[in-house]
Amino acid sequence: MDLKLNDDQNMMKKVAADFIKAEAPSYVITDWYQKKQAFIPALYKKTAEVGWLGMIIPEEFGGGGTSLMDCAVVFEELGRAPLPGPYFASGVLAAQLILEGASTEMKKAWLPKICDGSAVVIPAISDDPMQFGPRSVQTRALKSGDGYKFTGTKRFVQDGSPASHFIIAARDDAGRVVLALIDRNAPGVTMTDVNGFMIGAAEVKLDDVTVGEDAMLNGSGGGWSVVESALGKALPILCAYKVGACQEIFELTNEYTRTRVVFGQPIGRFQRVQDHCVDISIHLDGARWTTYETLWKLDSGIEARASVHQAKAVASEAYYQSCNFSHMVFAGAGTDYKHPLMAHSVLAHSLYQYLGTPLYHKRAMVDALYPRKLKRAG
Amino acid sequence: MDFSLQQDTPEMSAFRQEIRAWLADNMKGGEHLRWSGNWSTRENDEEYRFRRALAGKLGQKRWLFPTYPVKYGGAGLTLDHQFVLETEIDRYGLSLGSVFYTLARLVAPALMKFGTEEQKLEFLPPMMRGELAVWQLLTEPQGGSDVANCQTKAIRDGDHYVVNGQKVLVGHHLPPDYLWTFVCTNPAGKRHENLGWLYIPANLPGITLQHMHLMMGIKNAVFFDNVRVPAKYLVGGENNGWKVANSYLELEHGGGGSVAEQPLFKRLIEHCQKSEFDGESLIEDQDIRDEIADMLIDLDVQRLMGLRNFWHRYVREPHPYGGPQFLYFQRMVRLRNSERVQKILGYDALVPDNSVHEVADFEYTVRSGPGWLHGGGTLDTDRLIIARRLGLGRPAQETAPTTVGE
Repeated sequence: MDLKLNDDQNMMKKVAADFIKAEAPSYVITDWYQKKQAFIPALYKKTAEVGWLGMIIPEEFGGGGTSLMDCAVVFEELGRAPLPGPYFASGVLAAQLILEGASTEMKKAWLPKICDGSAVVIPAISDDPMQFGPRSVQTRALKSGDGYKFTGTKRFVQDGSPASHFIIAARDDAGRVVLALIDRNAPGVTMTDVNGFMIGAAEVKLDDVTVGEDAMLNGSGGGWSVVESALGKALPILCAYKVGACQEIFELTNEYTRTRVVFGQPIGRFQRVQDHCVDISIHLDGARWTTYETLWKLDSGIEARASVHQAKAVASEAYYQSCNFSHMVFAGAGTDYKHPLMAHSVLAHSLYQYLGTPLYHKRAMVDALYPRKLKRAG
Repeated sequence: MDFSLQQDTPEMSAFRQEIRAWLADNMKGGEHLRWSGNWSTRENDEEYRFRRALAGKLGQKRWLFPTYPVKYGGAGLTLDHQFVLETEIDRYGLSLGSVFYTLARLVAPALMKFGTEEQKLEFLPPMMRGELAVWQLLTEPQGGSDVANCQTKAIRDGDHYVVNGQKVLVGHHLPPDYLWTFVCTNPAGKRHENLGWLYIPANLPGITLQHMHLMMGIKNAVFFDNVRVPAKYLVGGENNGWKVANSYLELEHGGGGSVAEQPLFKRLIEHCQKSEFDGESLIEDQDIRDEIADMLIDLDVQRLMGLRNFWHRYVREPHPYGGPQFLYFQRMVRLRNSERVQKILGYDALVPDNSVHEVADFEYTVRSGPGWLHGGGTLDTDRLIIARRLGLGRPAQETAPTTVGE
């Protein structure tokens, strides 16, 4: 047993923290979130140069060939910022989908571009605003000549706007889930930014979009099994991002209890205020250690299907609740869009929904451990 | 990062085999018994006798306190050995710290750090041999969480301390051998600087025990009426008791960590798999599955916090707030599980099942939910300690004391 980061990981952590301090200080981040600027191209390019896109992709395809834990260490620091952008969506999840599902030619063609940032590939899996899982895939992919015609609406595609390409999940004539890489500028593709108490989502519409067989990435087991196995590696990295975010909130909030004085004393002297910080600590550490153990299992080749769902549920809830408890401490000041907490608060809501809510993942966790006798259709 | 618990070196693997075989042999005859929860005070003399005899046998092997120096009765082994022992005995639903009811596991480290050489040589070996039931006497009727407000007085009189006062909510239904007692050695002294610890033989004249019937079972009130305790039983020096308390209570407050598994959850799943309502297995019911999910997550986070604390102790870098955080979280999980078990079982959750160990018993789970909110300090003192360790509202953070002796 050894529960600390190794020397390389500590170095990566420091490099990432220093990079963010220099490139995206807190007031800049806050400004991006207030203006809903979810993609900063110049910064994205720089992160590609330091090797943070496609970290877990094998080196032969232009990736970093690192362990999941190494990648998670960097994403924890991105989450502290919280750096907005498709670092996870393209650099981890899309890359993994291609690695798991695409032909060798396709991997060779696309993975290096994802890793150097010249292609921003964004997965669009669920059509539904609330649901996730295979049943949430409703866009149709009907056979047409040598390929398919894709029609449907993905209501909320996280990090949709900066996409150069999408990986679209759809159902074929037989109702099976299929995946295709589709150019953002292909005829029939339209995209609209979605605004609200959220950041980075766009609606993507496909209207009779022609897709060739060579753009499909269904592996050998079909589209959903590609999604499942890619998520099985990628989700814990998203969890690490949320863990970093919780850590930042924890530190910000604790510091505020020392400096904010009311009724003649620092608010941290009030036990009810202390309780909020204690609650953040529990969400933070629950998310941290659930995530770390899951990453360790995956890096060690130990079965971790239920653990991945568990980490996603715990980390999403932790991020959301940490923001809420922090709001209790910061009160009015923390609701100003110029306050660092607001960036987290907005993002925590988006990430609560992204790739399945905590409820979805809790149920998937139990289903993985204790399969139901009666399978639902779909 | 490495979470594996079972990757033994060849040396450890041989040790594990030895322990496993020894336990298989020495646990014979206890199959029909129901272990009570760690510090529970359930009355079952047959269980108690078996466990006490087992502790004696483990003590003879020097396995109760494996990491302590040989001259004090330990085995001089490593923490790895202790870890193997803990995980193997956990397979039987027991832990090294509570093979039978004694708080020697908390007192021994305090003696190691604060005792004189003479005290260590005299007091430790019988404790390590598993011969002594030691109670901790901290709580007083008016004190509760404010332990420093200690009214039990121990006034020096020649070679003795004369002890007068009352302690409550302590011990077990069977009498103790020694009383590890927090006393006020200087009633006129400043708060925190007027306290001491006495290791009192329980058979001294003037000591009276009285059972208290509580939610969790039987505890006791202990009365001291002019009890003359030889001065050699004062540990840590006069007026130094607060320092001793601070150091060793970190162990009681979760800082020692835990590697135990959770038998309750397994049993609940089995119940849901074999029980039906209206022709459908309970495990197929979505509402029940949702309860199970929340319970599993809570227990898993608790397990991971315990593991983290264990590791911090193992590498001798105390976690800044991990001890009280674990304890607080565990209390809240127990309370939530208390309700979850009721939601799933209904009335059945209120009836004890004497065929299983208490830690896996549903009725015990329900009863111990509110019952465990305050054993060894309340959930609110836990949070207070966390806040101080985090330095909330303070310029400096309090550091966690080293969990001593092991």
